[in-house]
Amino acid sequence: MAEQATGHGGRLVGRGRYLYAVSRGLPSDALADVPGLGDGRLEVLEHQGLSAVVSDVDLEEYGEEGLRRNLERLDWLEEVARRHDEVVHAVAEHGPVAPLRLATICLDDVGVRRRVEQWHDALEQVLDRVEGRGEWSVKAFAARAEPQPAASDAAGEGGAAYLRRKKAETLTRAEGEEQALKVAEEVHARLSAVSVASRRLPPQDPRLTGHVGTMTLNGAYLVDTARADEFADAVRAAQADHPEAGIDAAGPWPPYSFAMLEQP
Amino acid sequence: MTDASGPVPASRPYSGPVGERGSWGRPQQPANLADILERVLDKGIIIAGDIRVNLLDIELLTIKIRLLIVSVDKAKEMGIDWWRNDPMLSTSEQGLADENRRLRERLEELESGEGSSQGG
Repeated sequence: MAEQATGHGGRLVGRGRYLYAVSRGLPSDALADVPGLGDGRLEVLEHQGLSAVVSDVDLEEYGEEGLRRNLERLDWLEEVARRHDEVVHAVAEHGPVAPLRLATICLDDVGVRRRVEQWHDALEQVLDRVEGRGEWSVKAFAARAEPQPAASDAAGEGGAAYLRRKKAETLTRAEGEEQALKVAEEVHARLSAVSVASRRLPPQDPRLTGHVGTMTLNGAYLVDTARADEFADAVRAAQADHPEAGIDAAGPWPPYSFAMLEQP
Repeated sequence: MTDASGPVPASRPYSGPVGERGSWGRPQQPANLADILERVLDKGIIIAGDIRVNLLDIELLTIKIRLLIVSVDKAKEMGIDWWRNDPMLSTSEQGLADENRRLRERLEELESGEGSSQGG
């Protein structure tokens, strides 16, 4: 049980229970080798046929005040996000997983069980929806427009020729972008056809990902494990048809983008 | 093992080839941070715990925007803007322009200080 006490300045101190994910039929020792946040030990709380994956966290770090402070630190956020994700991945190895959003924290196991009870049917629905399925991430890009070598009739010296060249470049770029958007639509449609569900997420910041050009597709696809080969074929076909789009596939992710609760 | 069909060519393979059984294992290479953050911050199940941390809080939203939205001007120019229907983002649309400007500045700061500790 978590100990709670009110410390200096009315702050809550002690331990809380960090909730990573909900699954079902998870063996209690399934996660024995997987470290939780702060290298805490992962535990599986069985309740009403669902398995909640939790570990202890320090409320100095994960209390309301601590979180407000820490979430602003990108290094802290990265570490916690990666660990959270690793745990969710580990759960997915054993069965269907409903990943919780980062920083879902209860004071004790009673609190965790209460949530499981409250959201029981909706969680079951999510697990039904994602069982035997994985999420794939597929991205496509519009290459940064290279200035075209000036055509002979547009070449020459002087302001007019320069303006003509500029205009031609702008036109080429606009056409290229339009084309890139069409490719993104088409690729998304092809992949959606071999998926159970699909979503387009906002494009990502090149400064985080290191990609060049504009991300035209950041797609998430929920794919039946039994149809994973078919999905892979569709990705390969899209790559072959559109080598310029730099189509990139990664997965399987746990079904983060498809785990949403219906309101009870 | 060698797989004749080969994996889906991916510049950042995450968990191994498609279709390989038991491919849930830990990533062979770390996934990129943007991929992870957009999932653990933006997706997944929202259940209010006892610790009330509203990820919609403007402070955290600043991180979301910093990470995900900085590239958006260009995308919007190209007509990619479906995420405006995303309640996570659209709730804060007011003042977003101002926020964005501040964030850009802050991002520049962060980037210029990259590698060094951000403490304090």
